[in-house]
Amino acid sequence: MTFLFSGLGLIGLGALAAWLLEGRSRASAALFQVLAVVGCALGGGAAVRVLLGTPAEQIRYHAQVLGGDWVWGLDALSAAFALAVFVVGAAAIVFGVAYLAAEARHRRVGPSHAFVGLLIVAMALVVTARAAVPFLIAWEVMALSAYFLVVFDDTQAGVRRAGLIYLVATHTGTLALLALFALWGGRSGSFEFDRMMAADLGGPLPSVLFGLALVGFGVKAGFVPLHFWLPEAHPAAPTHVSALMSGLMIKTGVYGLLRVITMVPGAVAPWWGWTLLLLGLTSGVLGVLWAMVQHDLKRLLAYHSIENIGIILMGVGLGTLGLAYGRPTLAVLGFSAAVLHSFNHALFKSLLFFGAGAVARATGTREIERLGGLARRMPVTWIAFLVGAAAIVGLPPLNGFVGEWLLYNGLFGSALGQATTPARFAVWGAAGLALIGALALACFAKVGGVVFLGHARSPHSREAREVGLGFLVPMIALAVLCFALGLFPFAAVGLAWPAGALVAGLSSGSAAQVGFPVIVGLPALWLFTLAIPAVAVLLWILRAGLLQRRAVTRGPTWGCAYAATTPRMQYTGSSFVAPLEAAYRGVVGLEVRRAPGSFVTEPIDRVLEHVLLPAWRVVLDVSGRFRALQHGRLNLYLVYVLATVLALLVWLYAAGTGAGIRP
Amino acid sequence: MSSALASLVVVLLMAPVLPGLSARTKAILTGRRGQPVLQLYSDLGRLLRKGAVYGTATTWMFALAPVVVLATVLCAALLLPLDGRAALIRFSGDAVAFAYVLALGRLALVLGAMDTGSSFEAMGASREVTIASFAEPALFLALVVLAVLTDSLSLSGMLGSRLVPGLEGFQMAAAAPLGLVAITLFVVLLAETARVPVDDPATHLELTMIHEVMILDHSGPDLAFLLYAGAVKLALFGSILVGVVVPRAPLAPWLALVVLVGGLVVVAVLIGVIESVTARLRLKRVPQFLVAAATLAALGVILVLR
Amino acid sequence: MTQISDLLLLAIVLVNFALLGATRLSTTIRAVAVQGGLLGLLPLVLHGGPSLHAVGLAVGTVAIKGVILPRFLTWAIREAALRREVEPRIGFVGSLLLGVVAVAVAFAVAARLPLPPELARPLLVPVALATVMVGFIILTTRAKAVTLVVGYLVLENGIYLFGLTLTEQVPFLVEIGVLLDVFVGVFIMGIVVFHINRAFDSLDAEQLAQLTD
Repeated sequence: MTFLFSGLGLIGLGALAAWLLEGRSRASAALFQVLAVVGCALGGGAAVRVLLGTPAEQIRYHAQVLGGDWVWGLDALSAAFALAVFVVGAAAIVFGVAYLAAEARHRRVGPSHAFVGLLIVAMALVVTARAAVPFLIAWEVMALSAYFLVVFDDTQAGVRRAGLIYLVATHTGTLALLALFALWGGRSGSFEFDRMMAADLGGPLPSVLFGLALVGFGVKAGFVPLHFWLPEAHPAAPTHVSALMSGLMIKTGVYGLLRVITMVPGAVAPWWGWTLLLLGLTSGVLGVLWAMVQHDLKRLLAYHSIENIGIILMGVGLGTLGLAYGRPTLAVLGFSAAVLHSFNHALFKSLLFFGAGAVARATGTREIERLGGLARRMPVTWIAFLVGAAAIVGLPPLNGFVGEWLLYNGLFGSALGQATTPARFAVWGAAGLALIGALALACFAKVGGVVFLGHARSPHSREAREVGLGFLVPMIALAVLCFALGLFPFAAVGLAWPAGALVAGLSSGSAAQVGFPVIVGLPALWLFTLAIPAVAVLLWILRAGLLQRRAVTRGPTWGCAYAATTPRMQYTGSSFVAPLEAAYRGVVGLEVRRAPGSFVTEPIDRVLEHVLLPAWRVVLDVSGRFRALQHGRLNLYLVYVLATVLALLVWLYAAGTGAGIRP
Repeated sequence: MSSALASLVVVLLMAPVLPGLSARTKAILTGRRGQPVLQLYSDLGRLLRKGAVYGTATTWMFALAPVVVLATVLCAALLLPLDGRAALIRFSGDAVAFAYVLALGRLALVLGAMDTGSSFEAMGASREVTIASFAEPALFLALVVLAVLTDSLSLSGMLGSRLVPGLEGFQMAAAAPLGLVAITLFVVLLAETARVPVDDPATHLELTMIHEVMILDHSGPDLAFLLYAGAVKLALFGSILVGVVVPRAPLAPWLALVVLVGGLVVVAVLIGVIESVTARLRLKRVPQFLVAAATLAALGVILVLR
Repeated sequence: MTQISDLLLLAIVLVNFALLGATRLSTTIRAVAVQGGLLGLLPLVLHGGPSLHAVGLAVGTVAIKGVILPRFLTWAIREAALRREVEPRIGFVGSLLLGVVAVAVAFAVAARLPLPPELARPLLVPVALATVMVGFIILTTRAKAVTLVVGYLVLENGIYLFGLTLTEQVPFLVEIGVLLDVFVGVFIMGIVVFHINRAFDSLDAEQLAQLTD
């Protein structure tokens, strides 16, 4: 814990330096970078220590305010998420300084850096808090610093709209969380997680609590249908902030759900699991379908976050089913798959966002249809992006595969062993996951092919130049991590397994026992992941040898002998996904405009445009009627206050005893 | 172990026969003499000795694609129990690895096609990923049926050591689900190996433009790699099909190998027959065809979950 | 015998899928004829071998469901010079997926129904339920009057399957029911085909909706 908090202190110090010293010292950004990265290293070290088996720790601060002591702790579950925060946080800090350097010439960027630092500290505190009050404070600090970061470009109307939608969404979520903790704390008489866990809830209360947690954490996690703020807010923010939000912040919602499940052992009902699994499946399929039709690069990536949250949620749902039906193998596999995929997604999604940011900086546009041929102009960015793309699709030998492999093992396993409980129907999820994977492949084939390959479609991309080291180093580091976790599946599984066992309520010994049939396959999986690059390298050498003494020439693309092509005649992203869009039209919200010589698609978010905004207008209409109450006379306002107090008193009297919270 | 290795070598060596067999069957049934059955061997030999031409737009991605495609197909072969018992590499969930490593090859192939900057090849790429999005769930539903029937998560159990009627844990009355799975797997085979009625290996022109058009610009050793990878992929999916229809674990190793080779020949001839009696489907009908196949596997899942 | 009856029932489910996926009217009619034939064979293998009663039921069913009604429908198509395509409102892929869901639901529900043990042939009840639901899917998602008749026939086949679970106990009732159903089916078809044809020169039932205005 000392390491962790000194790390957080250093990040905070760096953030302060970035804000206060900007303009006075040229080194302010560099100072921020160094302090914050060292801080992240310290915090990450603390997390790794716990993951390697150091017993979980807690520290306690006797707060003199409502809600009891403030407690923080670092167990395997917290450590897995905290590690992701520190690794991706460090990469985002380095990237962010380089990314905002161009803006720094004509405006202040220090506050933005400071808020990035604050966001990272707040996320680390969220995943380590062990009492409701510090948890909620850290949660709000996280939500608000993210808001200030989203509206960094506040001169643009679109950004302001995105910020507003985000703010409304996040506060709705916080409201649900307040209700959750108030209800729970009221019943258990304490706001400390350990005591809340020990409380005997009984009756329908656990399910009510789960419902509140699902809404409160669900808004942050951004699964369908609570996703609507995500594709607005994430692309509007500066790139490194998008990476932090998409890679990390939505995972705090997943963490919250997992933490709540650890705190109600024995009260888990089957319908929680089925709800989570179905929501996960829906988010996964819809997220990737919506992503496919986007042609704003960052928006596309934001929709992929919805897809991946869906995959993670499938893991959580499977684990919950395992708990509810007494199948510990499913529980540990589902939860570890969820934790591992959360970690993996943090790595490759921030990598992809960095790649998108580099492309946007180099070309000045995020519009996929105007790019093309960047593989020649930006070779390092392309390789890093390609690694991230293959990882997010879940292909071996990258880290994404290991997480999905765990999840598939759980989904298939649910129907094995003469299973008789209804949990066996979770096996259908395997086909859904396969569909999600195949669609994600289609989508990233489109992005990779249209943005980086072929000919440049506009002057922007024709004259692009590779970005600087400040951009490249974080991308390379993340790409190497993606490869490392994929090539050494032991490390990946080892990172998530203790957390999965913890949520499943198993000791490490019994977790290893129930997961043995899967774990025992790790050496063979390792051999297999190593075989892929090995065989490819051998074949590459063979090919080079074959071509060495032969004529290798270059000529125009054959293209069925139609040589007079222009870059504008290439397949665009819209045309690439046209057959998919036709096949899945029923679910994808899309406006298509076809004219001779042009084919334009305009994606629309059905939940936002067809449900929420009309509902919002109704709310505005209704609240307009109450405008008469709002007239600016102080004495009348005091009358309202008095009336409220009186009403509450009457209610308390009628209710008899005060059932409030005892300190 | 040795029988697995021997079977792998045999399958890798005989794979180029299969497309030739299909083509020959089709030729005979349509009243032509057709090419020699062993044509692909001489094609491969010729291509490997040639130089290569690269389009001006292409980068290393284009050159890497054939290498990755062949590498992934070879690695996938390591996971299949070709001797009817156990694969060289086997672990819980290797069935998933089999599908996903082939998907890696697909991504490489598609990106290689996009690298040419030609709309022909991009069109093929777009159709390839569309069809795959329907074939993949069908394949996984079939795998679910096999997994539940054999109580195993590994291809070595599903198609090998545990697919033995009468073995403990193997549900009797498995004939109906297995039959359904066999049909689904055959349709997936047709889609994955670019065969009629999904695609047409005989042409890259007109309205097909799926697999053949993606490899249009490759030449020399690159093209040889792709052609060989296609043949091996056909052999792999054929082996899965043979594994489902004829459980070979009780047979002697040499007999299991003979049955496998015979089964592959039958599959190749069957493909040829289908290619001569059916027309290629309209592109819009292809998803329907694959969903229908997935439906059969889904019925199988319903039956085995009962 | 159980094996054969299970295979027959499975084939009936497959025909259901074929009905949902078929794109031509003639194919759907042929499919429903096949289903009728399969239904007719069932009494012979259920309830422990063919009895005189079972043979009678089988012959009657095959004749009516497998031959006469399909012929009648084919004749109606030719007479009315209809377009040959089925026109689903939700697409063929959607219908197929709905069909899978229906079958899954049928199996899940059948496992929970409080049936007397002697009735609970493992596959008969779920297949009957699934067939009824597929009939409903066809009735609700297809636009043409002829396809509606086909959907009605499928629905009937499902009900007939339910009846088969009972034939040993209340045979007479079921037979009467079958005959009545057939009578109603023919009657409705006659009314639908001729009235729509005369009134609108079309067999598209969607145009019936305009009558409400």
